[in-house]
Amino acid sequence: MIIFHNLFYGFSVALQPEHILVCFLGVLLGTLIGVLPGIGPLGAIAILLPATFRMSPVSAIIMLAGIYYGAMYGGSITSILVNIPGEAASVVTCLDGHEMAKQGRAGPALGIAAFGSFFAGTLGIVGLMVFAAPLAEFALKFGPPEYFGVIFLGMTLLMYLSRGSLLKGVMMAVFGLIISFVGLDPIEGSPRLTFNLLQLWDGIGIVPLAMGLFGIAEILINIEESAAHEVLKTKIKNIFPNFSDWMQSKGAILRGSILGFFLGILPGGGAIISSFVSYGLEKRISKEPEKFGRGAIEGVAGPESANNSATAGAFVPLFTLGIPSNVVMALLFGALTIHGMRPGPFLMTNHPDLFWGVVSSMYIGNIMLLILNVPLIPLWVQVLKIPYKILFPLILLFCIIGAYSIRSSIFDVLLTIIFGMIGYLFRKFDYEAAPLVLAFVLGPLFESNLRQSLTLSKGSFSIFFTRPISAVSIILAIVLLVIGFMPYFTKAREKFEAK
Amino acid sequence: MINSDQLSGFFWLAISIFVCIEASRVGIGDVHSQGPGFLPFLSGVMLGTFSIILVVTSTLRKPAKREVKNLWKGMSWGKVVLVLILLLIYALLLSILGYLIATFGLIIVLFGIVGKTEVWIKVVAGIITVLATYIVFYVWLEVQLPKGILGF
Repeated sequence: MIIFHNLFYGFSVALQPEHILVCFLGVLLGTLIGVLPGIGPLGAIAILLPATFRMSPVSAIIMLAGIYYGAMYGGSITSILVNIPGEAASVVTCLDGHEMAKQGRAGPALGIAAFGSFFAGTLGIVGLMVFAAPLAEFALKFGPPEYFGVIFLGMTLLMYLSRGSLLKGVMMAVFGLIISFVGLDPIEGSPRLTFNLLQLWDGIGIVPLAMGLFGIAEILINIEESAAHEVLKTKIKNIFPNFSDWMQSKGAILRGSILGFFLGILPGGGAIISSFVSYGLEKRISKEPEKFGRGAIEGVAGPESANNSATAGAFVPLFTLGIPSNVVMALLFGALTIHGMRPGPFLMTNHPDLFWGVVSSMYIGNIMLLILNVPLIPLWVQVLKIPYKILFPLILLFCIIGAYSIRSSIFDVLLTIIFGMIGYLFRKFDYEAAPLVLAFVLGPLFESNLRQSLTLSKGSFSIFFTRPISAVSIILAIVLLVIGFMPYFTKAREKFEAK
Repeated sequence: MINSDQLSGFFWLAISIFVCIEASRVGIGDVHSQGPGFLPFLSGVMLGTFSIILVVTSTLRKPAKREVKNLWKGMSWGKVVLVLILLLIYALLLSILGYLIATFGLIIVLFGIVGKTEVWIKVVAGIITVLATYIVFYVWLEVQLPKGILGF
C-alpha cells in the first residue's frame, strides 16, 4: 500500500503546472533530437543541462529524463523513414522498420513503435517503483569497499559492452579517470595535473567535457561526411496497427519490455544494448526467422519496447546506489550533484519529492509521447526535412552558450572546443567516448572509496576480497577483463611465432 | 607506413609518461598513506601499459588495416578545420566584441560552410538567431552573456 501512497504523492508533485510544462518540454525536445539524425540524447542533455540551472532540482531532472526517454520514441521515426538511426538505440529499428516503410507499411511500423514504447515505458516505470526501494535499503549496507567493487564492475561492464576494441575501451576509461583527477586533491587539497592554471583548480566540468565529446564532435563528423539524408516518399497511413499486427507483436513487446528493464539496470547496460539483444532474441525464437530484415513487425516492436523500458531501468542504480549505469545516467548524476543532490540510498528518503515526482512524471511523459508521436508523425516528417546547413550552426551555438553559462567563463568555452576536437579525433581513430565520460563521472567516487578502503585496511588490498559484495564484483570484473583480453595475447603470440 | 592504432598508441604513451611525471611531482605516497599523485600515477602506468600493448598488437597485425592518411581520404576535412578555427577565434573575440556582434559574425560564416546560401538569407538568419538566443538565454534564463568593449 505504501507504494500507492508514495505514487499519489509523486503525482501531486508531477501534476504541478511547472512540472507538467517542463515534462512536456523535455519529451518534446527529446522527440525532436531523436528525430534529427546527428545529435543523440547525450548531446542534447549536455547542451540543455545549463538551461536547467535556474530550475528547481525536481523540474530539472523531470525535463532531462523526459529528453532521454523522449529521444527513444523519436529515434524510431528517423530509422523507419530515412533508414538512419535518429539515435544509437534505434539502429536495429532500421533493419525491419525501413523495410516495412518501403513496402508501404510505414504507418503500422511507426504505430507499433509508438504503442510498444508506451507499453514498455509504463512497465519500466512500474519496475522502477518496485525495485528501487528494496535496492536502496540493501545499499545502506554498502561501505567504501562495496562501493569501489560495484563502481569497478560498472566501468568494466561498460568497457566490455562498448562497441569496438576492448583495449581501447579500457584506455578510454583510464583516461577518463585521469581527467577526473585534474584539480585539487580531495584529501590534501594540493593541485594536481592543473598545468599551473587557476581555472583548473576546480577540476574539469562535466558540461564542457560531454558537450565537446558528444555535441561538437558529432557535428564535426557530420560536416566532414556531408551526407544527404533522404526521407522516404511514402504515404503514411494506418498508424493504428491492425489485429494481425498486434497479434504478431504482443509477445515481442512484452519480452522486449522485461528484457530491456533488467538490461537497463545492469551497470554498462542501457537502451542500445537492450535493443540489440531484443532483436536477436526475437529472431532466434521466431518460427519464421527469414522474415527478419525483410519487414518483420516483431523486429520493430521488440527493440523499440526494449530501449524504452531500459531507460526506466537505468534510473534504478542511479537513484538507489548513486551509481550511473550508463553514460546518459552519468550526465544525470552530474546534473543532480550540480543541483546539490547526492544520488544514493538516501535520495528516496531525503528527497521523496524528487524520486516520486520524477517517477510519476514519467507516466505523464509517456502519455504525452503517445499523443506527440501518433497523430503528429507528419509534423516530425517535416522536421526531418530541415537542411543540415541550417541546423548545425544553431547546435554549435547552443554548445558554446551552454558551456559559457555555467561559470561565465571563456576558459570553459575553450575547453569545450578542445574536447570537441579530441572527440572528433576519437571518432576518426575508433575510440568510444562513453567509457571515458562514465569513468570521469565516477572518478571522484572511485578514488575516495579506494582510498577510504585502504585506510580502513591499513593498506591491505585484501579488504576488497573479504567482503562478499566487493569480492564478487571485483572477481567478476577481473574475469570479464581476462576473457576480453585473452584474444589480444593469443593472437599477438601467434603472429610473433609466425614471424 | 604508420597505421592509426600505432599513432594513437604512441600518443597515449606520451600522455601516460606526462601523467606519471606530474603524479610523482605532487607525491605518490604508498598504499598505507596515499599521496595526491597515488591514483594518477597508477592510472598513468596502466595507460602506458595498454598503449604499449596497442602499439605491439597493431604492429604485428597484418595487413595494416588503416593508414593514418586514409582516415581523411574523400572527406571534407578542410571544413572541420575551418569550423574549429572559427570557434577558437569566436571564443577569443567573445569578451572583446560582446555576444551580439561576435555571434552574428560566427553564424553568418557558419551558414555558408555546408552548401551555398544567399547572402540575404545568411544575414536574416544571423539576426534572428542572435536575437532569439539573446532573449532565451539573457532575458529568460538570465545567463550573463559577455558584453564586450562596446557595452552590449
